[in-house]
Amino acid sequence: MMKLTLVGALFSIALITTPSRTLTAQQTHVLIVQGLSGEPQYRKQFDSTAALVRNAARKKWNVADSNLTILSEQANSAQRVGKATREAVAQAFLDMSRRVKPGDVVLIMLLGHGSGDGAASKVNLPGADPTAADFGGWISGFDRQTIVFVNAATASGDFVSVLEGKGRVIVTATRTAMEKNESVFAPYFAAGLTGDAADSDKDGRVSVLEAFGYASKEVARVYESSNRLQTEHAKLSDSTLAARVAFGGAAASSDPRVAALVAERQKLEDEVATLRGKKTSMSASDYDRELERLLLAIAEKSQAIRAAGGKL
Amino acid sequence: MIQRSLRFAVAFGFSLVAGATGCLDAQKPGADNASSALTSEVAAAEAALERGDRTVAIQGATRVVDAFENIRSPNASDHLAAGRAFVLLGPGNAGAVKRALAEFDAATAANPANQEGELRAVNLFLDKYQADDARKSFEKVLTADPQNARAMLGLARVQHFQGKADAFATARKSSEADPALSDAHVLLSKLYLESEDYDSAAANAKRAIEIDSTSISAWSLLGATAWVTGDSATLRRARAAATRLQPKPASFYTEIAEAAVRQRRYAEAVDLARKAVGLDSLSVPALGVLGINALRIGATDESRTMLERAFALDAFNVWHKNTLDLLDKFKDFTTIERGRFQVIAPPQEAELLALYAIPLLEAGYDSLAARYRYKPDTPVRLEFYRYNADFSVRTVGLTGLGALGVSFGNVLAMGTPSSRQRGEGNWGSTALHELAHAFTLGASGHRVPRWLSEGMSVLEERRAGRGWGADASLPFIAALSAGRLRPMSQLNDGFMRPRFPEEVQFSYYQASLFCEMVETQKGAPALRAMLIGYRDGLDTPGVFKRVLGQTPEQVDAAFEQYMRGRFAKPLQAVSAGDSTSAAGSFVITMQAGVALLERASRDSAMMMFERARAMFPDYGGSDGPSWYIARLERDAGNIPAALISISQVTARNETAWDANMLEADLREKSGDDLGAMTALERLIWIFPYDVTIHTRLAALAAKHGDHIRSVRERRAILALDPADPLNARYELARAMVDSGDVAGARRELLQVLEKAPSFEKAQTLLLQLRGRS
Repeated sequence: MMKLTLVGALFSIALITTPSRTLTAQQTHVLIVQGLSGEPQYRKQFDSTAALVRNAARKKWNVADSNLTILSEQANSAQRVGKATREAVAQAFLDMSRRVKPGDVVLIMLLGHGSGDGAASKVNLPGADPTAADFGGWISGFDRQTIVFVNAATASGDFVSVLEGKGRVIVTATRTAMEKNESVFAPYFAAGLTGDAADSDKDGRVSVLEAFGYASKEVARVYESSNRLQTEHAKLSDSTLAARVAFGGAAASSDPRVAALVAERQKLEDEVATLRGKKTSMSASDYDRELERLLLAIAEKSQAIRAAGGKL
Repeated sequence: MIQRSLRFAVAFGFSLVAGATGCLDAQKPGADNASSALTSEVAAAEAALERGDRTVAIQGATRVVDAFENIRSPNASDHLAAGRAFVLLGPGNAGAVKRALAEFDAATAANPANQEGELRAVNLFLDKYQADDARKSFEKVLTADPQNARAMLGLARVQHFQGKADAFATARKSSEADPALSDAHVLLSKLYLESEDYDSAAANAKRAIEIDSTSISAWSLLGATAWVTGDSATLRRARAAATRLQPKPASFYTEIAEAAVRQRRYAEAVDLARKAVGLDSLSVPALGVLGINALRIGATDESRTMLERAFALDAFNVWHKNTLDLLDKFKDFTTIERGRFQVIAPPQEAELLALYAIPLLEAGYDSLAARYRYKPDTPVRLEFYRYNADFSVRTVGLTGLGALGVSFGNVLAMGTPSSRQRGEGNWGSTALHELAHAFTLGASGHRVPRWLSEGMSVLEERRAGRGWGADASLPFIAALSAGRLRPMSQLNDGFMRPRFPEEVQFSYYQASLFCEMVETQKGAPALRAMLIGYRDGLDTPGVFKRVLGQTPEQVDAAFEQYMRGRFAKPLQAVSAGDSTSAAGSFVITMQAGVALLERASRDSAMMMFERARAMFPDYGGSDGPSWYIARLERDAGNIPAALISISQVTARNETAWDANMLEADLREKSGDDLGAMTALERLIWIFPYDVTIHTRLAALAAKHGDHIRSVRERRAILALDPADPLNARYELARAMVDSGDVAGARRELLQVLEKAPSFEKAQTLLLQLRGRS
């Protein structure tokens, strides 16, 4: 699955196949809600996970501060962190609805402990807890945006069936509301989304699907390496859309020389894809020779793009 | 041929309760001749089976069943006879087995006062591996009749089946309750044979024969004992007797095959079992012994064929079923063959484990071959099992061996490191331990007793790796202090008949100390000379006399003196507490040190720990004084002193994860990269699944130009299925370039870029390699 970077928006949806096509500016909006931690170790985990996403949003995805809202169990005005109450979350959605434009991407990330089930599934906040049904109401107005809703809390599984819909990718840390034990999904998902390790095709951008795959694998490894029965199984609502919604990567260059080189490189990459399809019908030596020729040509194009001031 | 009539009345090696038939008939005065006829006919059929005449047995049993089905109101005797007939029809017919149980139950219901039906049902349970059910039933019988010798014997069989040490006592009680019960002596003979007390095994077999000279089980055990001890005259006599009783004595050869297995003479066991199967191709025990042991010598196809045949005849045999299931799993295992070794492991782990195990075993092979002047056949097969259940299936029958590993000669098996918690074992020392068995078994013609083979294996562990091999623990010193350890000449019982849970572990260490003593006092060739002695057919006293020039009593005394000298200091500071704990000034001082530490009295705590260390300098436990001192010194910034202390832990403790990690950190911080690398290597042998360890080691190795190690570590990271496999493969390619393997690096890069043509770092490296060969 090819992922493309949209001009001016480093958190992007790749809906087109030609990299040279220029799209109008598209923005990313991030809302992080950090619930009650209960114990210092969870507070630490939630803080570090939120910080990872917040820093990536600012520095890697170029999300404007005005489009970044962070709510936590304790407000911190110096860091522009508000108190995570049900009312504050509702207000954050309301504010966001006034800012978003058609085609924008909205990332919502819930960190904390969950409870309840079905539409009454909750994430535990100071004061009244918002339910999956509440969130369903709050995001219902964002039908012209792409929503990535990540509930990384425990017992979050039922959020998928309540919130899933067109233009939405819903990710939960658990398969059902019954998986209530401590979850390790959040930090791995955040690390995948914000780092390079989850970028499985090394195209410089991390799709939600790649981050989800990375986190699922690492969660399984945590349990396996400690000989524990895995008590959490993450869930994803729409893998097709999740593969197309990507984070990071450089903006396409407006320099026509660079654009031409990028197009040439893309053509070579397409040739590699075609060659891969012929692998079983070719001798190994012929295949390797042709593959190496194409890959060297791609590498040379990349070198030329860099020399021309373009970014890869 | 005494008691022939009684033998005829035996279905499962258990005679009828004395007078039972009479009781049953008395219960129902109207019992007619038909009942007696059924009982006689089934007894004749059983006798035919004893003779090995399966056709006649089945014909007779079929007639009994047919006649029984026509009896309108069967009495208890009829049910009993029918049950026995159904037992005979059981092989290959699970329905007949169930029917047998139903008829035994019906016999009990018809005459609750008579326990014959109950006992037969229970024995059938046991024969079908329902040991728990059998135990409960035997206990029920014994509650009603505490002196019932047959129920005691049944209970002893259950205990034996479950590997419990009290089987001996229960079997003895049974023989005391009924001195004429030959099967009690048969079981005792078997138990003695298993614990390698051959004189007692032979004596009990002979006693059983005196009571019942038609007992093929007794003759078989006499033959097996004679085979093990090389007494060819007795073996011939036993075989002749068995052949008179059973013209095709499959059970005789099966018993000897089992004895061969217990002596770890697997190839000979397979040959004997093949002979048994040749005599009776429908003998489930013979097919089972052949199937299981063919697997132990690596003859997988033959194993499967035999076990499938056995399972078709007896679907109740869980052991056969499990082994067949295990063979099915082998299809999914990965085999990696390099040099003289094959690693067979679950696909997720095979490459990782082979990367380390094969070089270790290759070096071990050369070293052991030089020391013992023996070379096991190659390839040596090392199987890894991820699940303890699978490993148990592979090893069951070797009572008390423990669950770490097993050696069947040049077929070795062990759990993967992932089958245990981190810090619970050292998979390198285990692999080496099992390989050493292949040499000591082979060099002795598979006649080395368990205790010596284990002792030599532990000694070889110690030679192979720093900190590897058992070491003096607090409970061991407490046991030595309390006189709970066995004399050297009886050490085999420490493995075969442990009196308390820790005894097997203590016995390993004790045996290794004996080997150490022999090497110290008699020179390195003495241990090999002991193996040669066993190979020549000597028993342990004979070997002691030839090699050490001492009687067993003298060896015991010398070894006791050696141990008391070696552990003189800790013996003054450690004493036995209650039955399972240690006490003494060492423990008190350590407790005081920990208490002071908790109160933040660092200097006073340090003083206590130093004092404790002086009392027991060799203590390597992860809760010992050196561990505390090392951390206190580290916290005080005294890194050289911390390193001295932590080294004392890592040098004596093969599973000390935290201590080795601390040593690696401290050495790296203090610029001792090579020392840090050594500590990281030790961590890998404790738990090889931590990517950060491999990454650190790869980086350090690359920094110091150790490119072979760097490449190995990069391969390990890749084998661990990392979260970012393309980057891991790219790093491998980089390490290969550094090691001069440009062609290999190019291959890796092509694999990376084939999947991710946009991967910039890999593109750059590929360009750099262009034109380089």
